[in-house]
Amino acid sequence: MSLILLIIIIPILTAPVAYLIGRKEESRPEYLATGVCTLILAAVIALAIRRPQAALCLIPRTFFSFDPSKLHLLYGLITAFMWFATAIFSREYFAKEREHLGRYWMFMLITLSATEGVMLSADFMTAFVFFEILSFTSFTWVIHEETGEAVRAAYTYLFIAVFGGMVLFAGLALLQHAAGTLSFAKLPSAIAACSHPGYVMAAGICILFGFGAKAGMFPLHVWLPMAHPVAPSPASALLSGILTKVGIYGILMAVRYVLCDSEEFAILIFVLALITMATGALLALFSVNLKRTLACSSMSQIGFILSGIAMMEFFGSAGETKKVEAAFAGVALHMINHSMIKLVLFMAAGVVVMRLGALRLDEIRGWGRNKKALKLAFGLGALGISGVPLFGGYVSKTLLHEAITEGSHVLPGVAALLKTGEWVFIVSGGLTFAYMLKLFICLFCESNSDAQKQESFNKDASCMNNCSAAVILFTALLMPLLGQPPIAGFLAGICGDPGVRVAYGSIFSLESLLGGGLSLLIGAGVYLLIVRKLLIKDGSYVTLRQALGRADKESAAAKMFAGFFKGAGTVLSEAVKLIAYGLDAPVDLLKYFLSAEQNKNDRHTPVYGLFSATLTSSRDEAHPISEGFSFALMMTCIGILIILFVLVFTVL
Amino acid sequence: MSPLFLLLPILIPVIGGFLLIPLKPKTSRVRNIYSECVVVLTSILVWVAIFTLDRESVELYSFTRGFSIDFMLDGAGMLFAGMVSLMWPLVMLYAFDYMENTGRKNVFFAFYIMTYGITLGIAFASNMTTMYTFFEMLTLVTIPLVSYYESRESRYAGRKYAAFCIGGASLGFFAVIMTTLYGKGGNFILGGSLIEGFDPVLMQLAFLFGFFGFGVKAAVVPLHDWLPTASVAPTPVTALLHAVAVVNSGVFAIVRLTYYTFGTEFLDHSPAGDLALYVSIFSLLFSAWMALGEGHFKRRLAYSTVSNLSYMLMGLMLMSSAGLEAGLLHMLFHGIIKMSLFLCAGAFMHVTGKEYVKDTVGVGRKMPVTFAFYTMGGISLTGVPLFCGFVSKWKLLSAAFERGDIGGYAGILALLISALLCAIYTLGISMRAFFAPKGEDLYERSDIKEAHALMQIPIIVFGIINVVLGIYPAPILKFVEKIVVGLI
Repeated sequence: MSLILLIIIIPILTAPVAYLIGRKEESRPEYLATGVCTLILAAVIALAIRRPQAALCLIPRTFFSFDPSKLHLLYGLITAFMWFATAIFSREYFAKEREHLGRYWMFMLITLSATEGVMLSADFMTAFVFFEILSFTSFTWVIHEETGEAVRAAYTYLFIAVFGGMVLFAGLALLQHAAGTLSFAKLPSAIAACSHPGYVMAAGICILFGFGAKAGMFPLHVWLPMAHPVAPSPASALLSGILTKVGIYGILMAVRYVLCDSEEFAILIFVLALITMATGALLALFSVNLKRTLACSSMSQIGFILSGIAMMEFFGSAGETKKVEAAFAGVALHMINHSMIKLVLFMAAGVVVMRLGALRLDEIRGWGRNKKALKLAFGLGALGISGVPLFGGYVSKTLLHEAITEGSHVLPGVAALLKTGEWVFIVSGGLTFAYMLKLFICLFCESNSDAQKQESFNKDASCMNNCSAAVILFTALLMPLLGQPPIAGFLAGICGDPGVRVAYGSIFSLESLLGGGLSLLIGAGVYLLIVRKLLIKDGSYVTLRQALGRADKESAAAKMFAGFFKGAGTVLSEAVKLIAYGLDAPVDLLKYFLSAEQNKNDRHTPVYGLFSATLTSSRDEAHPISEGFSFALMMTCIGILIILFVLVFTVL
Repeated sequence: MSPLFLLLPILIPVIGGFLLIPLKPKTSRVRNIYSECVVVLTSILVWVAIFTLDRESVELYSFTRGFSIDFMLDGAGMLFAGMVSLMWPLVMLYAFDYMENTGRKNVFFAFYIMTYGITLGIAFASNMTTMYTFFEMLTLVTIPLVSYYESRESRYAGRKYAAFCIGGASLGFFAVIMTTLYGKGGNFILGGSLIEGFDPVLMQLAFLFGFFGFGVKAAVVPLHDWLPTASVAPTPVTALLHAVAVVNSGVFAIVRLTYYTFGTEFLDHSPAGDLALYVSIFSLLFSAWMALGEGHFKRRLAYSTVSNLSYMLMGLMLMSSAGLEAGLLHMLFHGIIKMSLFLCAGAFMHVTGKEYVKDTVGVGRKMPVTFAFYTMGGISLTGVPLFCGFVSKWKLLSAAFERGDIGGYAGILALLISALLCAIYTLGISMRAFFAPKGEDLYERSDIKEAHALMQIPIIVFGIINVVLGIYPAPILKFVEKIVVGLI
């Protein structure tokens, strides 16, 4: 039991030490941090071996409880592993850019405990507390580089994180009020006994959007393509690989324990999932920046995972418990796959940044032609995420796909929606293949359009040191392993119902292979027809905007969003100002008519007074109220008069 | 011990403070030690009273039938007095250094200490007449503090403050008379002290008069404008008086008015109660927007105070024991947080001599401790768990859900929106201070340092209280629960 305490407390305690070490120029806080990450990894493995079953309360009568079992434990382990891997990689990544390193490591370690806290939590309150901590600490990753772009992205991130936190806060308060508990174990029975189904529904929606903000779910996804690319690469890997999963984790808990049988809720999640999936994939396809493509791809994969969660909810509403578990296996596996894939890909992108300091596809084109290790790692990651048979992504995507097709048989009411969803699913899967192909071919196969540059690329075959290579390759080699049905089945069994079987027969059945193949075919077609024909102009990669001959601008969605908030903000604040100064108007009028002393010198009409008060920016000058005690006395007199009036009336 | 003991903590600071003017201490060292001694002695007396006194009231003087000056110490009074008594000695430390380079320090500290006694008088008052008396005295004794700098602006602020508060109190006077006539002498009894035989419409009118009258000090929106203007006063004044003592006196008066005189039974879902609820909801949103657009550091915090005072009023106007609990908790926790924010802002202004938000770019690198604590305050005010602001917001939300009608839901929505705005207007400053893009750092070459240790101590203490109460709020929660059910 104290092991959990250890996992949460140690990184928090060592964080300030890392900061203090990092303040000195030549010091190396990364050794300490790597040591802590290793320790935590060991502790989580020990936790996994001992498999304690009971939930634990840290502080009695306050709201911390933990439950190290099933998905919680597995994700605790993945979290620890990802931190360990990125910590090792960070040593090389930050070898030259040593600014603000103390700060980076401090928040890295705090975020580690917070993430472990969320993943191991046994109730919503604990999850929420740690969720808020990691929202704020991971913010420093986004702003780490302190460029204008990073600051802008960080503002967006903070805004959406706070918004998500508040919505979640309201949802949990409502849930507590409706059900009287927030513990996962007690919630189902408490909700069954609850007399306000509307409250539970509202709470569920709040929780969905609160956690969805962190996951990058559609209307709240804006921060994701902005923030992930500007963070340092190891941090991007964590943001993409783990922090989005924190959001998914929360939604998963809401679907499992709060609203497990509402079809409306399922439709809501499913529609949002489809939009997220398709938008992410399209954005990734048209992006010309390595890390931005990967970030958009994360968003798209989150859509895939969400669609699985929606299917769990659909099956729950139809009462098909077995199928819920099957869909859950798909969700869990895709989460695991995506975490590992993004770890590899972002670290590989980090190698590129580290060596070249560039991310635009044109600039990095052909750089990897002679870097075999990197090519292998990136290739395995790309195969994994594209859903090529025998690799991780294929198994999980097939399970999710199966869930959707079965759903359209089980639920005739929403069959049309599910059929559409299936097609979006297949096409988005194809797009995934297309943009990964684009990245891989650009980075590792083509030559740079600048021959001189290519020559210098060719000369320099080194790309990373052995430590980094070992970590990246180890993670990359997990891809084919995760693609084996027995291993996948074992993991799915740990996460959920041990009865769920992931068999060779069903995964590699003709139907599944056809589905996967169709997806890949679409992807290859998109690559050949759209990427090669439309998005490469005069030998360089262009965005859709440039391809269509429009001026290159910042991402339109972000702009629209910013514009909307700016516009709404301006209108509202002007309205508020009008009210604020308008409130003085009655006073002005009163004064104008009542105070004779004032009238003599006052050349303005009351209407003018109102306008001058409203329109002048420097308020203290124009503010006409209370030019002396006469005004106060007047107010007093009015008060006394009213009282006299009332008293006379009541007494008589 | 006789409840007459309560006179001591009221009289000692009033007399002790007043003595500063004729005594005229020669050096600031003597004055500082004397002032701190008076204040600490008073605080000790308050705590002695809290731990030893029973809940009975004492009549000191009777004007006429029903109108008398009475004192007592009950739970709500303990909470208010306890809070104020912890803050005053600490902020005095801060004030010593902050006021070091200004003139007329004797006058300043005299009134500053006298205000302490008057505030305790409000906390210990046991009927409407007494509270009203001290309420008026509080206005008078703080006017010199508001216009202390004697500049055009501060004189203006002082006049405005006086106009609003005296005018407001005259509105409240109506409520005082009505409750004294139709209640048990206006005595404070949890659940209300009205007796039969009044006209309900008139009584609701009286409540509204009282709400807006006493609400002037709680800066409820149409009558809030004095507070942002008054932020020209020295920071110890804005921090202690305009974030805690004076404004919370207004809230406290409304607690007394609503829960201890009129009673929630009479007001619950009545037109007057609903109107007050909606006004508070509007007020909290409105002032959060105003804070967002405000460029002056302290004025922005002042608008934030307006907004948070309206949170409390909203909680109170939910007219339930959960609402009272939430309101009292937020009174305490907001006091701690806002104090810490104001002190940080004051340290920044004192060190750099600048007072606008735009001047904070990059200053966090030079004053990391101050701005780290500022950030903690801001996060707490937004309502993030592990900080005390979260606890009271949780209670406010629960109370609003419990009410469960359109007013409650409007309150929840307003609370969430304003929390978001709060994050932007407080944390925006932290972002500027800590993360200045290259080339925009205003303080890259300046050699400013952290403020003096005496100024740092209160900042750090309040920051620590902020976290400790956020992690372990159980004792306070228990205490407030007892107040709400009338056990103390």
